[in-house]
Amino acid sequence: MDLRHSEQDEQFRAEFRAWLDANLPQEMREPAFWADLTDDEAFEARRSWEAGKARAGFAGIQWPTEYGGRGGTPTMKAIYDEEMALANAPATVNALGLAFLGPTVMALGTEQQKKSIIAPLLNCETIWCQGFSEPGAGSDLAALQMRAEPQGEDYLLNGQKIWTTNAMHGDRIFVLARTSPPDGGKRHAGISMLLVDMHQSGVEARPLKQMTGESEFGEVFFTDATCPNSEVLGGEGNGWATAMLLLSYERGASAIAQYTEYHRQWEQVVAIARELDRDGRPASADPVLRQQLAGALVELECLKYHSWHVLTATAQGKDLGYEASMTKIMWSETFRRVSDAYEAVLGTAFQVPGLSTGRSLRELTALAMWSRSCTIWGGSQQVQRNVVAERVLGLPR
Amino acid sequence: MQFQLTDEQRALRDTVRSYLRDRFGPKQVRELYDDDRSDGIPPALWQALGEQGWLAVLVPEQYDGLGLGLLDAAVLAREMGAGTVPGPWLGTVLVAEALRLAGSADQQAAHLPQLAAGEVKGAVALLKPGSSPTPAGAPATARDGRLSGRLDFVEYACSADLLVVASDDGLFLVDPRGAGVTCTAQEALDRTTRLGSVTLDGVPGERLEGSTPELVQDLLDRAAVLVANDLVGIARKALTDTVDYDKTRVQFGRPVGSFQAVKHALADLHVGVSFAEHAATYAAHAADVDAADRQLAASVAKSKAADVCRDATGAMIQYHGGIGYTWEHDAHFSFKRSKRLEPAYGDAAQHRERIAGLVIDAAPVASTG
Repeated sequence: MDLRHSEQDEQFRAEFRAWLDANLPQEMREPAFWADLTDDEAFEARRSWEAGKARAGFAGIQWPTEYGGRGGTPTMKAIYDEEMALANAPATVNALGLAFLGPTVMALGTEQQKKSIIAPLLNCETIWCQGFSEPGAGSDLAALQMRAEPQGEDYLLNGQKIWTTNAMHGDRIFVLARTSPPDGGKRHAGISMLLVDMHQSGVEARPLKQMTGESEFGEVFFTDATCPNSEVLGGEGNGWATAMLLLSYERGASAIAQYTEYHRQWEQVVAIARELDRDGRPASADPVLRQQLAGALVELECLKYHSWHVLTATAQGKDLGYEASMTKIMWSETFRRVSDAYEAVLGTAFQVPGLSTGRSLRELTALAMWSRSCTIWGGSQQVQRNVVAERVLGLPR
Repeated sequence: MQFQLTDEQRALRDTVRSYLRDRFGPKQVRELYDDDRSDGIPPALWQALGEQGWLAVLVPEQYDGLGLGLLDAAVLAREMGAGTVPGPWLGTVLVAEALRLAGSADQQAAHLPQLAAGEVKGAVALLKPGSSPTPAGAPATARDGRLSGRLDFVEYACSADLLVVASDDGLFLVDPRGAGVTCTAQEALDRTTRLGSVTLDGVPGERLEGSTPELVQDLLDRAAVLVANDLVGIARKALTDTVDYDKTRVQFGRPVGSFQAVKHALADLHVGVSFAEHAATYAAHAADVDAADRQLAASVAKSKAADVCRDATGAMIQYHGGIGYTWEHDAHFSFKRSKRLEPAYGDAAQHRERIAGLVIDAAPVASTG
């Protein structure tokens, strides 16, 4: 047992922290700054800051240097995530590209694809969307209906994708589409992953308004859209295997960033509990709320220990495999626990945008609602439980 | 970053595990359950604990101990829980810890070698039943070096050779067979232990000179961490046995473990037990390195382990169906041990309240990470 990082890793932390100190303006760390901007303005501000970070060499931490990455260790990536969260730095605008597409292209892409995709992804010239879910294919992804018919050098795409993060800001989208009909009972056959340009007349993105009032996701409609057949990733008909590989890149995620973010959320909830009156004393003195707040902290601390467990394994080159589903359950449930405590502490005040003390509740209330989405996207909690039960515990299908 | 047991610790775990499997398995536990005359200390098992050094882990080498840390002891505690192992291991280890932490050199020299070898059996009374895990919960009062009070539910009190009693003036060594001490056996639901009620009536005790309130708190935390490890041992075993059973038990023409209602419950338990294992491991390590958040870590571990073990041992009964409710099945060993240890050294709610006191009432404490 030794929880210290190596000197090299700590040196990286110092370097990155110093860069953040110098290059992340204080105002950008405050929720108020972002609240005053429109969706588009906020997105562009994040994109340009992130591009500067990439130019400084703090992007693609674990990616090989030949592809413009930093060639760092899994520990450095975790430190990077932690420092970003500690600094309250803006979240990446290219999450799906960075987490999923980039590693898949490096593993399966043609040389031409690697050249054309990786660098613009890292410096945020190309914002990537993921086109997996459809109105009739959510948890049951293989039920997808979108068609891509070969036509000369191109595919002709028709269909609809939904819950597409960054739909309104995306430049390209990696979509799963049927390039041939299902082969009898083999639903996974005949699916391909296509890299499609969103800036064409056959592609129309429409925002979906979320329960928070924001529109960070949307729908994407394809009507005779085209995609050159050189832009298949992983080979025609191999889309299912490509998608499974792509999703497996989530496995190395250690959840330290989530811990850091939700721990800050918890501290803010405690600060509010100290300010709010309940029965003539601070809400933080209420025995039931204390149990709830402390219970949420117990989960948070356990999440931190789990992130160390994941980091220990990945640093040794181990693949935690389907344990990733467990990590997803852990962080999303912990996030819910903290959010539940927030709602309980506020009581009726959950309804209003701010307290009489002048404290704004907008960011925290949006976070609490966001926690409701995290147990759905990326594989719902119910799907994850099936995975843990079948793949980790070995229970029969 | 190495958040894992060392090779030596894994070897220790494997040795204990295989010893218990070969020499003291469920069959031997069952014999104890069915034997009304047993003192709850199977002689061969106790002898082995002494010979293998499993009572000596925390005792300094100069007193014939192994001089290891709380994490090493936690490894043992976890296997004790998994095997629902009887005997005064914990009481003996805690008496030695009290002496190591607060005793004088003379007191240490007089008792530690015998405790390490298993020649002396220890018992501790650190809290009144129901008390929160703080020095204020001490069950005895001290007046001019004489102790009085009623100590309830003391594990192996009536077979102990040496008692450590917490009082309003710190920790005292008490000879359980001395004048003014009476011990009455109390029937225990968990028959892998024996409980006694000890009455002290102006009994002369030997004060452990270093026993400040901070040190008594440290001892309580160490006890809580060992119990947390025992609990996660019970919980993991209960879950594993239940998963194994539900893979093969067929109803409606298919294994019951293929039903989602069962799968999801067991998946959630796996998540919870994994969290509790991490917490119990970290809390022991935090004590060993005197981490800034060691008190928080102890309470996180104890509260999480108690909640999870309650759930896992309850699920063990439920997801075995009717057989899980019988005396013949081992599920009740785990369930009853969990019921004994869930409240020991502070229950989940008491530890959460302590966390609130540490973190919500105080200025924010930076946790490690």
